[in-house]
Amino acid sequence: MAVKKITKAALTEWVGELVSKERVFGVQSKGDKFDFGPLTSAQDLRLDYDVTLQPPKKYFLPPVETLLTFEVSAGYESQYSDKPFVLIGVHPYDMIAINQIDELFKQGYYDTHYMTRRSNATIITCDVVNASENVFASQMKTATVKDGFDILLTDIGDSYIAEAATEKGEALLSKAETADASKDDLDKREKIQKDNEKNLSKHQLKCEVAELPGLLENAYNHPVWEEKAATCFACGSCNQVCPTCYCFNVQDDVKWDMKTGQRCRAWDGCMLDGFAMVAGGHDFRKKRADRFRHRLYRKAKYVPEKIGGQIACVGCGRCVSACLPDIANPVNVYNRLFDDIKTK
Amino acid sequence: MSKPRIAIFDFACCEGCQLQIVNLEEELLDLIGAVDVVEWREAMSEQSHEYDIAIVEGSITRPEDEDRVEIIRSRAKILIALGACATIGGVNKLKNNFDLDDVKECVYGDDAKMPHLDTAMTKAVDEVVEVDYKVHGCPIDRKEFTYIVRCLLLGKKPEIPEWPVCVECKAKGNPCLWEYGQVCLGPIIRAGCGARCPSSGFRCFGCRGYVDEPNVNAAKDVIEKYGLSIEDLKGKMILFGSTQGPTNE
Repeated sequence: MAVKKITKAALTEWVGELVSKERVFGVQSKGDKFDFGPLTSAQDLRLDYDVTLQPPKKYFLPPVETLLTFEVSAGYESQYSDKPFVLIGVHPYDMIAINQIDELFKQGYYDTHYMTRRSNATIITCDVVNASENVFASQMKTATVKDGFDILLTDIGDSYIAEAATEKGEALLSKAETADASKDDLDKREKIQKDNEKNLSKHQLKCEVAELPGLLENAYNHPVWEEKAATCFACGSCNQVCPTCYCFNVQDDVKWDMKTGQRCRAWDGCMLDGFAMVAGGHDFRKKRADRFRHRLYRKAKYVPEKIGGQIACVGCGRCVSACLPDIANPVNVYNRLFDDIKTK
Repeated sequence: MSKPRIAIFDFACCEGCQLQIVNLEEELLDLIGAVDVVEWREAMSEQSHEYDIAIVEGSITRPEDEDRVEIIRSRAKILIALGACATIGGVNKLKNNFDLDDVKECVYGDDAKMPHLDTAMTKAVDEVVEVDYKVHGCPIDRKEFTYIVRCLLLGKKPEIPEWPVCVECKAKGNPCLWEYGQVCLGPIIRAGCGARCPSSGFRCFGCRGYVDEPNVNAAKDVIEKYGLSIEDLKGKMILFGSTQGPTNE
């Protein structure tokens, strides 16, 4: 598939056409910040954003969703959200997070609710233009992305480089007025991507990201878990804004007829009190320090062990911004472990 | 199975939480169809001493109220505290910060000594009798109330959040109000309201009461980080949290 170049005016026109015909969600300003939301006008799209308040995972795994409706002793009917949609403005680190959750929701039990939404999505990613205050994607090797998206846009000044990676993406892009990208255009894109691979580093990891799973082999009883958790609100803000957190809780609600009802799932968070509470009132991760440790083990050890490759922190920095007591930053914890364990 | 008999009682409060039940609109018919309401002063004239479930609104502020709620408790199989005044004492506990005689004089002036105006320290309902379930909030959330009632009808334990408001606020994609200079109580207050106030740009006032384990040390750290004093934080906590654990620490 040929790489295209699209002027900013042509992009606005193309997006304008899109929003008039399809269900489109895109990045827009929200006060002095940014977030994904329903896009009704191409003028509202802000591809120069730094980071969104919420990652785009909510379009695949909503905060609350109905899994099925039931009638006692009559059976149940699964509920699916099967309307196609276009998602514009996903940053590379968020795309990598989506790729990861795709894999997790395919393994073992194939999650049809998640996968239905996922297969209905056309994703347009864009390389980062402005670094957010806490981004460290370069450190996590997630500053650029190679797959998962349908179209990748890169802002090269007066135009965007647009590369379709799938047939769906190509079909969509063919509706825009484009020209073939020149060697010079591609060089510009490469420079932007190379710069991002270096410069999205507001927090510096003292080791290579690939060393983290090994580092955690010897860190289970390290004092850092208790120290950090001492000022943890257990408010789950770090979980709620994380693009790779996908834990959920499932509850039934029965209507007044006491026969029919619905089964819903809602986001859960490993930092919340009661997260590990099971039937009979047993809580196998009762202490905040245990849960704090679990979050960071899950990011850098359990998930890569399960699916291989990229650790489950993509360096978006949202947890760093969201944590009021300032304890959530994974880089700080991993660096502390590196200092203590590697220097021994 | 016969319908459970429900009675609704009010103590010191604005009766706004009962009003939320009246405000259920079309769901009200579902509710009164599923249960047998035998006493509810705000909505009907009948009274009864026989009921399975007592719903108690308001806080306990006089010795004779303690006697009354004890009688209600002895008659009910299940007792539900309705709204912040009942679940945590709520704004009525502001009184507990002052000398009672001063309070009476401030409110009633020359009549302060009249016997029918006597008052005592405010208590939440569970400071007087055992409470089985709490419907938090000022006012209550109607959906949460009907959910709890349906759970009881099914013999199922309702799941009330033990986590803070931040969970629901972040899920809504709200920016944190602390970043905009508001002393929001979200991190230490029980969720379940859908982060209604922060979603409208107002800090959390704390009407659902503290979570089971509010982290006071963390709150002190945050106060310091934002260059505020403990008094700035306490000043916000006393509205709904007067003379309650974390407010005193």
